[in-house]
Amino acid sequence: MGRKILLIEDDRETAAYLAKGLNQEGHSVEQATNGQDGLFRATDGSFDLIILDRMLPVLDGLSVLKALRAARIDTPVLILSALASVGDRIEGLECGSDDYLVKPFSFAELLARVNALLRRRESRVDPTEHRLTVGDLEIDPLSRTVRRAGKKLELKPREYLLLEYFARNEGRVVTRTMLLEQVWDYHFDPGTNVIDVHVSRLRRKLDEGFEKPLLHTVRGAGYMLAA
Amino acid sequence: MGIPVPTTLRIALLAGLLALVSNLVVIGFIYYRTHDEAVTTVHRQVAEQGKVLADVYRSGGQAALNDAIQDTINYADPQSAVGLLGPDGREVMGNLQSLPAFALREGYRRALIRLTGQTTPRQAALVVQRLPTGQWLVSGRIAGEGLAIRETLERSLLIALIVAGLLGLLSGLTTAHYVGRRINDIARVANRISARDLSQRVPVSRAGDAFDRLGSQINAMLDRISALMDELRLLTDSLAHDLRSPVSRLRSAAFAAAEESDPKEQEELLGSVIRQADALMRILTAVLEISRSEALTGREQFHWFDIGELAAELTEMYDPLAEEGGATLGYDRPARPVPLFGHRQLLAQAISNLVENAIRYGSEGGEIRVRVQPGERQIRVEIADRGPGIPADRRQEARRRFGRLDSSRSDEGAGLGLALAEAIAHLHEGELRLEDNRPGLRTVLELPVHSQQASAA
Repeated sequence: MGRKILLIEDDRETAAYLAKGLNQEGHSVEQATNGQDGLFRATDGSFDLIILDRMLPVLDGLSVLKALRAARIDTPVLILSALASVGDRIEGLECGSDDYLVKPFSFAELLARVNALLRRRESRVDPTEHRLTVGDLEIDPLSRTVRRAGKKLELKPREYLLLEYFARNEGRVVTRTMLLEQVWDYHFDPGTNVIDVHVSRLRRKLDEGFEKPLLHTVRGAGYMLAA
Repeated sequence: MGIPVPTTLRIALLAGLLALVSNLVVIGFIYYRTHDEAVTTVHRQVAEQGKVLADVYRSGGQAALNDAIQDTINYADPQSAVGLLGPDGREVMGNLQSLPAFALREGYRRALIRLTGQTTPRQAALVVQRLPTGQWLVSGRIAGEGLAIRETLERSLLIALIVAGLLGLLSGLTTAHYVGRRINDIARVANRISARDLSQRVPVSRAGDAFDRLGSQINAMLDRISALMDELRLLTDSLAHDLRSPVSRLRSAAFAAAEESDPKEQEELLGSVIRQADALMRILTAVLEISRSEALTGREQFHWFDIGELAAELTEMYDPLAEEGGATLGYDRPARPVPLFGHRQLLAQAISNLVENAIRYGSEGGEIRVRVQPGERQIRVEIADRGPGIPADRRQEARRRFGRLDSSRSDEGAGLGLALAEAIAHLHEGELRLEDNRPGLRTVLELPVHSQQASAA
């Protein structure tokens, strides 16, 4: 289903590339090339998501974000930035953004995050109330129990959090960085495949002995939980 | 040269003015305590008497003057002195019995004279006037000894005033010259440094005064700048050198992908291109992070958290990775929470770098242990492996940026892990220590407990 996305980015090449990609995904994209114009368009509050570059002419990205939040416009904001340090990322998140993506990024990474943010907006329900199901997989967030085809799976606490995050993003690509940020709350880039090791452990418990795998690897992007 | 003249002038004026004012206060005090109205009265009377006689002469001529002199001798009070002297200085008439040999000049003077009918010479205040005839008219009063002393005093005070003015000027100029010279020394060095000669240093005398302290401070600052510049040069040199191989790998991967005709192979090669580019980005991010931490940026993001809990989380996170490498990763949980005021994310990165290092190079030793030791003054976060370790003489080299000891494992890491962990320790006013675990390597983040609160407050 197509959504309205506001793209505030001064680099024409990047903007055109992103707009084209997002259009192909069925979203309608409106563009602004400086912070002031972006803020003006964003204040009508009709967008489902704002993609905001951090370094913009006239008014910088963080100022736009602060102004938006001050005006009580709670449209999800995804910040794009070449400022890659841990401190910069945290500063961006503390200013009220919902996600922070460091340039250069792959379009797959951007799309995964856009979809996650759009989905979060769509399902504004108490996360503990719902029973999550993916195919024959059942997750009860209250008791933190997981069953597949009626059989209880023994998961470690972190494995459970990982699975719950996958389940909440069912059918969507989840990248390694998203997992590190959302499941572990770390904002640095590990130099090892530590996330992959955790996912493959979870996969062993989840899919071993079952005919149909649920946890899929998406080449060049990340993982996806889908029936 | 580098000092604008007005500053020196201002200092000179200020110092001179201060000297003058303080002298004036002293002189004024003495004047106030010694000044006597009697002196002024005598002066006025003498001046009036002289003026009266001169008027008499002007209106009545010689005869009237002679009468007036005679009247004065006869009827005026006995303290009055009056005399008419010839051009040669000899008395024509009057009551001046003896006159000291003073130069006959018009004006006021004080002299020791004896009047007719008196036995001893006494101090008198006199006015000498020259008549058109060439004669000298001397008039005045006997005023006693006090007058002489007071007059001398007042004249001395006047001289003192002039001298004070001159001294003030002199001291002003001297101070200005001294200050100017000391400042010029510093300014000259600053000038040469602006002209890109960083080796210059401010001369420091042994006096240990404020200028010496300023000079020493500037020198210390220059030392630090030089050290940073050297470090920066080393960093950019090694960065340029170390980026060469990943960039050329990236280039050849891209080239191979472009040449490949089989789509499946090509996809494989493009994946490798992206991996190489990511590795390159990681290097750049790490270098940036190191510079920021060394520049102490990010302290505004400090907050309280339990470092014991963080270490536990990270150990749990890396446990599967260690297991794949054939090692066990254990954690010695401290008995109580270990609160620390710091940058949680950066410390997480530092600890994970150290754990990754231990897994990468120390897995063959089997056991890797993480330990958080709260202490009175500092918290130690230890990561100890049983691998080959690093010989003592190579530890310094290991913590340098790009200082990877085993250059054959070129695909893993960029040799920035330890340098980054050390920079993060420095951000927390702590240290990174590399210790011998007998056998194996023990890397320790030593983080002070108190200074962090102080510096962030």
